[in-house]
Amino acid sequence: MVVENIVDGGILYGLIAVGAGLATGLAGIGAGVGEQGIGAAVVGVVAEEPGFLGKGLFLMLLPETLIIFGLAVSLILMFAWTPFA
Amino acid sequence: MLRPVEMSRVVVAGSNKVIEPVIEKLHELNLLHVVNYSGGDESFEMGKPVGKSSEYAEQLIKLRSIERYLEITDKMPDKQFSTDQVISQMGGILGNLGDEVIATAERISEIDNEVKIKQDQAKSLKPLAALPVNLELLYGYDSLAAFVGTVSSPVEADVSKVSYVNEVFSSGSGAATAVAVFVPVEKAGEVSAALSEHGFSEISVPRGLTGSIAGAISALESDAKRLEGEKAPLQKKLKDIRAQHEDLILAIDEHISIQSQKAESPLRFASTENAFVIDGWLPTDQFDMVKKELEGAAGGRVQVEMLDGSEAEKFVEGGEDIPTKMNNPKVVRPFELITRLFAIPEYKEFDPTPLIFVFFPLMFGLILGDVGYGIIIFVVMMMLRRKFRTPGWQSLINIVLISSIWAIIFGILFGEFFGPLGLWAYIFSGAHHVGLLGTVAHPHAIGIDFGPEFYGPLGRIGPEIAGFAGPVFPMFRLETASVLVLIGISLFIGVIHTGVGSILGVKNELAYGEKKHAYFERLPVLLFQVFFVIGLLGMILGGLTHPLVILSAVVLVVSIGMMVKGPEGVMGVTHVPFFVSNLISYLRLLAIGLASVGVAFAANQLAFYVAMPMLSGGGHDGFTTIAIVVGIVVLVTVHFINLLLGILSPFMHPLRLHYVEMFTKFYSGHGGGVEYSPFGRVRRFLRD
Repeated sequence: MVVENIVDGGILYGLIAVGAGLATGLAGIGAGVGEQGIGAAVVGVVAEEPGFLGKGLFLMLLPETLIIFGLAVSLILMFAWTPFA
Repeated sequence: MLRPVEMSRVVVAGSNKVIEPVIEKLHELNLLHVVNYSGGDESFEMGKPVGKSSEYAEQLIKLRSIERYLEITDKMPDKQFSTDQVISQMGGILGNLGDEVIATAERISEIDNEVKIKQDQAKSLKPLAALPVNLELLYGYDSLAAFVGTVSSPVEADVSKVSYVNEVFSSGSGAATAVAVFVPVEKAGEVSAALSEHGFSEISVPRGLTGSIAGAISALESDAKRLEGEKAPLQKKLKDIRAQHEDLILAIDEHISIQSQKAESPLRFASTENAFVIDGWLPTDQFDMVKKELEGAAGGRVQVEMLDGSEAEKFVEGGEDIPTKMNNPKVVRPFELITRLFAIPEYKEFDPTPLIFVFFPLMFGLILGDVGYGIIIFVVMMMLRRKFRTPGWQSLINIVLISSIWAIIFGILFGEFFGPLGLWAYIFSGAHHVGLLGTVAHPHAIGIDFGPEFYGPLGRIGPEIAGFAGPVFPMFRLETASVLVLIGISLFIGVIHTGVGSILGVKNELAYGEKKHAYFERLPVLLFQVFFVIGLLGMILGGLTHPLVILSAVVLVVSIGMMVKGPEGVMGVTHVPFFVSNLISYLRLLAIGLASVGVAFAANQLAFYVAMPMLSGGGHDGFTTIAIVVGIVVLVTVHFINLLLGILSPFMHPLRLHYVEMFTKFYSGHGGGVEYSPFGRVRRFLRD
């Protein structure tokens, strides 16, 4: 029965979906952890010197790319990688 | 465009006798960016203030304190005044009216103080209200100790045990009753111990009050109320003064600031006993006009010279900054806000504002891509434009305004109006009884995969493109095929965006004369970017042996070789992963857009397929009124939240793509210019 499911892709599709979710979700947590320190520091700097807002924003947004990597993996899993085609 | 206004180094020298008309003229022209005299030359010293600069300073201090009391802050002018008007009314405002304002404001703060004291006293007396003792009897004894406060149980018996001589007053017999206990001083310690067993907590009696406690409380409260009442007309008076004189006061502020700026300006000039020298930068095309005007003003006793390139270069090498005046057409100018937020470009650098004008609204539109949201943002911004008239707000509003037009355009392309059009067509075609609790006629129609027929009566307009299941216009962003197309579009925009940045990077390095950096650091990165994507395209078109793939493979190897030969050596190769991660970063254009349409979609589903059918028993026979009301509330709430997010994230993320992905290609290493701020002041409240 399980074998049948794998043949028509049922359970594996489910696992792929879980994997895609984990890829984006965990990358999001990573990005968040990265941003928390930078964010706190940037808020401190901007409170002292509002002119640093632009540069602060730049630094603050750097770790955001991490989540996009996760998203790219998810997209590949969901759409581009078709093991049962 | 792309380049700041051309500047020239100018020297103005003249006799001290004409310094005042020269300053007057320079201030009026508002064109010369003065370079402060740093005091490095022995034959010159710093100039001395002309006119009554200390008097102006005093007047400014008084005026600013009046402004603070009246709560006047800078705003856009409603009225303008001529200088004569300002001078004739200045005495009154700074004199009588000003004194009155200050006195009134001080009286208000006095009243606030008194009210607070009285309220505090009343509050502390409240628990004692029912004590049958007059206030003046509660304190001031030499041989008696008085304990006033609250207790949780009756104390008379215990107090009598410790001290035979006593007098105890209490307000009743419940919990937390007020008591006043009087005993001889020598028994105070023991009584205190006895009282604490009954949960005694002392209340300090405010001095100077007489009569019964309840009477005192009501007197205090009525006093506080009376004082509050006294405050209201004073506040109204300040408000009236503010309403009547706000613009005039700001005009006076402007006038005195200008006078004080002029009077103190010689501190920035070099001077000798008989002459002065002003150094500065001037837009080159204004030089002839400025020269003529200054010579006219000083009757020929002033010399205005433009230094030629090599002489000016010497000053720049000596640490002088050439001021940057960004040179953009009016539509593009709001976007200078974004450039400025990061850094002002150096004079020799490119000004990226026109590029931001092209790419930023495009990215905003691509992410938001919804006709309904676009129209709402457009209308709201049009309304805010009238309300927030300071330059900063105006720029921001104009940026969002232009971006919202792109959002509407992309909304038409994506077929979205508060979520996918298809869903709306489905809802209003009468098929809404297919809900969670109803008969599910088309099970696939509930999930994300709607299939081609889902576009209903609106249909699809575009041509059919090979390889895709149906025509692509309007493309429903949540469909698999569209996601793949959008991935491609996002990366394509990324390559163009970073590519333009790299081209500017090459030219920038050349402008600074750093050929090695230009040809072996920036150029290979540019080549790598372009051919990386050409290679990918070739791979999609014809696999690994496609001629485009082979060509780009060769170029990629060459460009990596160039990076290794570059100034950074082998470390130069780090540009490769850096670029690839930059490119992937552009996927956010797709991702955030999907999130936004996803929430809109969910809002519609929630209202029409969950809330409404559930509240009307499955919705087989249409919806009940209450179901429709609840559905609309759900719809409005979720769409409103999504709209707020839909302004914020499509704004922040393109901002990041510009700052991180694009600006690093040509802003790094240099950057941080000095803004052109000419000597003078734009008159806002003063009329010429």
